[in-house]
Amino acid sequence: MIIDELEKKLRPPEILLKLYPPKVITLADGGKMVVREAKREEIGVLLETVHPLMGVPRDFYDIVAARMYAELLGWFRYRVANEFVLVGAINGVIAGIVNSRLVDEKVGMSLHTLTINRGLRIGAQLFAAKMEHHLEFLGQKEVWIVAESPIGFRRWMIEYALENREHLFPDTRHELGGVPTYVLTRELYDAVKKDKVSGQRPVPQELLKTADVLKAPEEYPQIPGYKRSKK
Amino acid sequence: MKDIDFSVYKVEKPEVYAHKCPDCGTLYYPVPMLCRHCGARRDPSGVFFSSWEKVPLSGLKGKLLTWTRVYALPTGFDDRYLLFGIVELENGLRASGRLLVEDPEIGMKLVAKAGIVREKVGEDVYGFMFDRK
Amino acid sequence: MRRVAITGIGHTIFGNLSDFDLVDVMGYASSEALDDAGIRKERTIIDQVIVANMGGCFLNHQAGIASSLVSRLGLEPAQAELVENGPASGGSAVKMGFAAIMSGLADVVLVTGGEIMRTVPGWEGTDFVASLLHPEAEYNYGLTLPAFGAMFTRMYMERYGLTERDLALLSVKDHENGEKNPFAHVRIPCTMEGIYESPDANVVNNFIAEPLRLYDMCPVSDGSASLIMCASDSPKMKYFKNKKPVFIVGVGSATDTHCVHERKDPLELKAVSMSAEKAYKMAGVSAKDISFAELHDAFIILEIAISEEIGFFERGKAKEAIQKGVTRITGKLPINTSGGLKAKGHPLGATGVSQVHELVKQLRGEAEKGRQVKDPKYGMAVNFGGFGNNVVTTICSKE
Repeated sequence: MIIDELEKKLRPPEILLKLYPPKVITLADGGKMVVREAKREEIGVLLETVHPLMGVPRDFYDIVAARMYAELLGWFRYRVANEFVLVGAINGVIAGIVNSRLVDEKVGMSLHTLTINRGLRIGAQLFAAKMEHHLEFLGQKEVWIVAESPIGFRRWMIEYALENREHLFPDTRHELGGVPTYVLTRELYDAVKKDKVSGQRPVPQELLKTADVLKAPEEYPQIPGYKRSKK
Repeated sequence: MKDIDFSVYKVEKPEVYAHKCPDCGTLYYPVPMLCRHCGARRDPSGVFFSSWEKVPLSGLKGKLLTWTRVYALPTGFDDRYLLFGIVELENGLRASGRLLVEDPEIGMKLVAKAGIVREKVGEDVYGFMFDRK
Repeated sequence: MRRVAITGIGHTIFGNLSDFDLVDVMGYASSEALDDAGIRKERTIIDQVIVANMGGCFLNHQAGIASSLVSRLGLEPAQAELVENGPASGGSAVKMGFAAIMSGLADVVLVTGGEIMRTVPGWEGTDFVASLLHPEAEYNYGLTLPAFGAMFTRMYMERYGLTERDLALLSVKDHENGEKNPFAHVRIPCTMEGIYESPDANVVNNFIAEPLRLYDMCPVSDGSASLIMCASDSPKMKYFKNKKPVFIVGVGSATDTHCVHERKDPLELKAVSMSAEKAYKMAGVSAKDISFAELHDAFIILEIAISEEIGFFERGKAKEAIQKGVTRITGKLPINTSGGLKAKGHPLGATGVSQVHELVKQLRGEAEKGRQVKDPKYGMAVNFGGFGNNVVTTICSKE
């Protein structure tokens, strides 16, 4: 496709990003969740998955879903620089999505974590996978982190012993809301890795195949009685 | 004018105390209101009965009976985890306290130190911090 | 001879009910019990209400909860009192209800236990529960109930050779039972592969207080459970035609030292054995007569330790019974058929009452498909307060 000159101006300069090597996590109920990077072409099922949660005010789901929806579109339409999206899929059905982007080679800016399946620590493990990608596979130095939920955020602050950079505000600020930020450095990550990062590689072929075609969930525990409208 | 007792201005260093029954000499940590052995009474205000003599415990040696590394801490603690243990001191008393040892083992020898274990509005709370030496 | 009959039971779902008011939730469980007993219109025959709750003042900023509940249900002018005994509040409330009837002070008693704990973040909930500990020698350090559960577990493992695998086996069993209980907080099963065998188990089943892991501990839950009791020789028994009554035949409670370190042998839970002895004596039975039991597994190690203290198994030997499946629903001595605190959940004030609710359900033969104990005669509930410093035991019988 030839890209229009004006369109070229609106696209941010890009760093070529290495692909996240997929892994499989055995959940507490014995289920297997494949964690892999989402492809641009999968935007449809990703948006479809996120969309209903925009109507759930509880637990900050509405704002996280709305922002992630916008970030996914930004990624798809080349209006956000250096974003990557990871999905956790159980039998091909999306259980959770995390997204994040790179500011430059050294600094990552964590965006969002959205979990559909509850009670199996999927959100925590996908967040860790996001950090794994930034720091291990993309070779970054540090990742800047904030959160919409104060409770969720305090847990990360404590569980990862995040570095407090509040005193560097406003020069150091997280782009989501422009707030003072906390940072996960490679050193801090290495100290907690064995307790936070799960998953085995390589993923056995049959399991990987189940995650080839992603499906949007039929049910949302956050939305009792939800029914996806048939096309 | 009566002499002012300037000793009240003395800056305390952290210490943890056992209390001694004035009648039978039994040591207690923590201190009850009635002695379990001889029934002697205690008056914390010291006005009607003795408030019982305080015996400092820091410096005593002890043996670790059991321990844990706690990740889910209550309000007021921002640490990723803290180590705690139950220690048997050389004078027979036992106590729960913080462990400053990263890799504890049941039966290991420890020394009782006193430190600030919690900060409250306007005061520091002292307690046991058990360490190797 | 006057006996205490349980003529109605009620229960809410245990889980996240933090959107609802505490007394409303207790009122809901109480109403379920009124309907179960068939006395909704005749409810003013209740002459005593006993409420079990621990955190009302602290977490929900409400005091005098028993009086509130009376009005919420239109039970004026019934007598009403609140019983607070930490996590054993429920058991104590049942005991007080029993005492009110046996003393002649009341003929019909409503016992309701409830808690709404999830209105506060996890660290505040932990801090609230830690207020059970000794203020100077334990609480000040930031010690928590799980910390004591963990230290107990470590000592137990060292002395009796219990392994993390044994704990995981128990967790799987409790979750299996919880899955079949419509009131349970956690209805997702867990597998040995998921929580123990797989290389991801260290993350999926992470340490909370070593050596206890996520799946070794009960969740933080909201909910309420309720019982209606009547004196067997009261003319008011004629109102209870709905269900066959189940009888409380033994109750007992005892205390131990406040500080865990002051116990001669920290692995000996004297309050458990003493309260059980009293209950056995009153009921005229012993451990071998008990058909099934609800044992307070706030930390899974307690299911093991309590079962040994009350004489089900020899000290240190419970793990063999577990490995053989003796305590599963299909086994010889089912324990925690409701899912236990581990899977059913643990709203502090509700638990003791919920345990007796399960005893009644099983003895009536009304448990859900796959969860019914075969032909039970005597059921036993042990409700553990603090870290074992106040324990209440209740024994119920079919006749």
